[in-house]
Amino acid sequence: MATVMTDRAEVRVLRPDSAREAVTLARQHGGTYVAGATWLQPSCERGRNWPPFFIALDARWPGFRGLQESHQGLTIGALTTLDTLSHHPLMKEYLPCLTGRNGLMNLLAGPGVRRLGTLGGNLMAGGDLTALAFALDARIQLVGDDDPRGDRLVWRYPDLKSTDLISALVIPDCRRWRVAVEKLGHRERFSPTRATIACVYDGNRFRMAVCGEGGPGRLEISEAALNDGAASSTTTADWYQALDAELEGLGWHDARLRLAIRRVLVHQHEELSDGD
Amino acid sequence: MATETPDRVGTLAMATEPEHGPAKDLYRRIDGQLDYPTDLLDTPGLLHGAILRSAHAHARLIRVDVSRALTMPGVHAVVTAEDVPGLNRFGIVVRDQPVFCEERVRFEGDAIAAVAADSRAEARAAMAAIDVEYEPLPPVTEAVTADRQPPLHDGGNLIAQEVLDRGDLEAAFARCSFIVENEYRTPRQMHAFMETEGGVAIPDADGGMTFRVGCQSGHRDVEQLADILGLETEKVTVEAMATGGAFGGKDELTIQPAAGILALKTGRPVMIHLDRFESCLAGIKRHPVSVRMTTGCDAEGRILAHQVEAVLDTGAYASLGPAVLENFLDHATAPLYRIEAYRVFGRLVYTNNGLCGAFRGFGGNQATFAVESQMDALAEKLGMCPQDFRRTNLRSLGDTGSRDQRVRWTASPAEVLGLAAASPLWRWQEDVGGRWLQGTGMAMGSQGNGLGDGLPDSGGGRICLTSEGRFRIEFGFADYGQNISDAISRMVCQGLECHPDDVNVVLGRSKGPDSGPTSASRSSVLVHSVLSRALPQLKAALCQRASELTGLAQEALSPGPGGIFYRQEKVLDYRELAGNTVAGDLVVDADLDFPVAPDQGQPVGRYLQLLIATVARVEVDRLSGRVKVVDLHHITAAGKVIYPAGYLGQIEGAAVMGLGMALTEDMPMQDGCYQADNLDQYLIPTFQDAPTQRVDVLDDTADDDPFPVRGVGELGIEAVAPAITAAIEAATGVRVNRLPVSPGDLLAEMEARESSQ
Repeated sequence: MATVMTDRAEVRVLRPDSAREAVTLARQHGGTYVAGATWLQPSCERGRNWPPFFIALDARWPGFRGLQESHQGLTIGALTTLDTLSHHPLMKEYLPCLTGRNGLMNLLAGPGVRRLGTLGGNLMAGGDLTALAFALDARIQLVGDDDPRGDRLVWRYPDLKSTDLISALVIPDCRRWRVAVEKLGHRERFSPTRATIACVYDGNRFRMAVCGEGGPGRLEISEAALNDGAASSTTTADWYQALDAELEGLGWHDARLRLAIRRVLVHQHEELSDGD
Repeated sequence: MATETPDRVGTLAMATEPEHGPAKDLYRRIDGQLDYPTDLLDTPGLLHGAILRSAHAHARLIRVDVSRALTMPGVHAVVTAEDVPGLNRFGIVVRDQPVFCEERVRFEGDAIAAVAADSRAEARAAMAAIDVEYEPLPPVTEAVTADRQPPLHDGGNLIAQEVLDRGDLEAAFARCSFIVENEYRTPRQMHAFMETEGGVAIPDADGGMTFRVGCQSGHRDVEQLADILGLETEKVTVEAMATGGAFGGKDELTIQPAAGILALKTGRPVMIHLDRFESCLAGIKRHPVSVRMTTGCDAEGRILAHQVEAVLDTGAYASLGPAVLENFLDHATAPLYRIEAYRVFGRLVYTNNGLCGAFRGFGGNQATFAVESQMDALAEKLGMCPQDFRRTNLRSLGDTGSRDQRVRWTASPAEVLGLAAASPLWRWQEDVGGRWLQGTGMAMGSQGNGLGDGLPDSGGGRICLTSEGRFRIEFGFADYGQNISDAISRMVCQGLECHPDDVNVVLGRSKGPDSGPTSASRSSVLVHSVLSRALPQLKAALCQRASELTGLAQEALSPGPGGIFYRQEKVLDYRELAGNTVAGDLVVDADLDFPVAPDQGQPVGRYLQLLIATVARVEVDRLSGRVKVVDLHHITAAGKVIYPAGYLGQIEGAAVMGLGMALTEDMPMQDGCYQADNLDQYLIPTFQDAPTQRVDVLDDTADDDPFPVRGVGELGIEAVAPAITAAIEAATGVRVNRLPVSPGDLLAEMEARESSQ
């Protein structure tokens, strides 16, 4: 057979039969998991640097696609597309702030990308949903060598290896919670994220998280200062300072963007506190 | 937006009736069915070319070894500077850019070699096998100090500098009651056309070469390409095919030299098509400008003095930089306003930054951003309404231009201003303390048609009746999306009262009539003038020949749909008429020396002038500083509208381009390297960012105006940016002098203002 040279020479796509096999292949060959490939394509084209192996994930694997309610809350398969999330009735019930014309999902990329892109891909790339997942105290289910294990979602968690595979995200029952999420982009739609900011109020405590240019992270110090501030001598100025320092510590080095995040968080806090 | 308009002003709307709406071709274009030059993949024997580009912004080229690349699979030729048969230089104004670098590379993206292979992938693989040894040199990256840095070309880094002045500036400033001084910066904007640079070079059996490419001036390109290929100009043909956008970015040669040399070397057609990464890297951009403006007025608000110092960064090679500098300076004199004394000084410099050249607006809109911002700043200092301040200083119909040249407007600037002042956009909602701050602002601009400043500027066209019985109209212009064919077709149908199916418009062939470049908003003027003369001649010739053939009185005959009519009855169809006429008898050529001020020895500026006022309404996010442009209302005075859909498209499209320049578009550089490489990093406005727009036309064109139709390709971009920044100021109290507007900077300023209140 004649050799056909392409820009993607020597790329092999491995198609495992199960999630467990995918993990085994990744450990053996060091390949890159691929599902919607919306992030992979531009980043590989940019450097014309394609990995030698892709390991294709299959949305038909049990638990990898779709939404399911349980006593834990809502379990969302990692290969559920962003488009599905934006229209699913359970999402409207649990997280109405994501759906609808002005919901966060409609601000993620363009329609074509949303139809291909998956929840798992968005989380692994530190995409817009990461901040919300952090603030919700969502948990990820991983496929390991052993039994699937769940863990709290922590970006670059020391135990989270590049060969680990997310099978699902489990969010707690947040139907009675107040949730605000805001994407700061450069334009109305299809914009790279400057910052996505999430604030959640469960009736007792506020939880806050960010992702974007400075990287994803939960704002635990600021949360504590806010939640416990009323009982201590923390002033607004103190809280601003604590938040600013925490953001900078997480990697948010642009002071003007930290200012925007602070203003959004204050706005979200006021919104979610309204009526208490 | 409400649609209240005074009776004398028309508001353009997209017509849906077939006779007024866009032609069928436009829908083919929208559907993606129109073939562009880079779609010519079924050209027999086609090879694919790739260009190896410099990895350094500035380096000595020690060695280029192509031996390994020549052995790669599918490779037919690898060429370097040594293989250029003729002149290894090109450039519209100054031929300073090498086709392939010899001893030095001057920007990241400079061409070093090119490969032709059976497939694009093979060409790229071979390109990667070319061994290049560089000796990096410190890059010259700061335009302001570039002329004091080591020279990038013989003669130093200062390509051009020019002063325009009038009056005693010092004395005028001494009499000013108020003076404002500000620095402005505009971005390195990218054309971001839909179809990136590309096309095919096709050698013929006689040693000639035909280029089917996206370009803007086939005739001019022939001269440059003939010199590069070492061929007689008669041996080179350029067919400027309909291309997916240009906006000035295809005015300079792009892939043609490398494709032509590879085609000569292999004897086979070669296509080169830059991908978006390569287009971002090697393509022309808009000149970033740094300008300091000092403007003063008396206590009554009359502008007395105006001083400008500007630097334009043209990058490694000149391209059209000298002409951009000239147009920038012309606009920097504040041509709409009477100013007693000015000194406008500008420098154009070489750096190791990316290439800059022609771009819609051509330096004018950068200058207008600064000038109009100065108007608002002076008005504020004076405590005067910005509209009143402008009204105090605007020139009147009949006044000479800022450089004492005669100008021909089609309406009074004060009337354009008056209509802008009456825009419904000023009636915005009261601020109720919500998240989004609202503001409305306006700016004015003037734009000339033609190359200007007495540069050679002429062109022609041809109309004939073909043996198939259709009117073939030929111009040398390129169609890069402005759909000028439709405008031409309509003019012909109007002049000959025929049907669009009777008309065949042929554009962009260098073997046809030379119409000059498709730039400088000159095409419509030229087309109208040529057809105004040619159509009556052809009509008379048609009727005379029909009279000879039918025996009917010539005076009683007239052309109409499908043929010649006598008393509203078709008596001879066009095919029959053509078949009974000696070929060449029904051909009319006409041309035009582009109009310049009639009473000047060496004309300055541009004679045919257009006016625009743009009113912008914005919303600014109190939380993030992001700006949304909600509405744009343009009042234009640009002669008669002959093709409403085209007029509307030009004004609205240019305005969105200006919006991008104002809010998001920039190709920042660091150490001579671009910091963005594709459209996921370089952010053009999307449909969701495009505001509601209204385009009003004030047509006071005199009945005896010999140039009642003007070109509007650039007018819409002229005043958008300063209108937006004025609206931002109205919303936030913060004036932005650096584009694109940084939400972070704006927010920091807003926070500082809040803290001080």
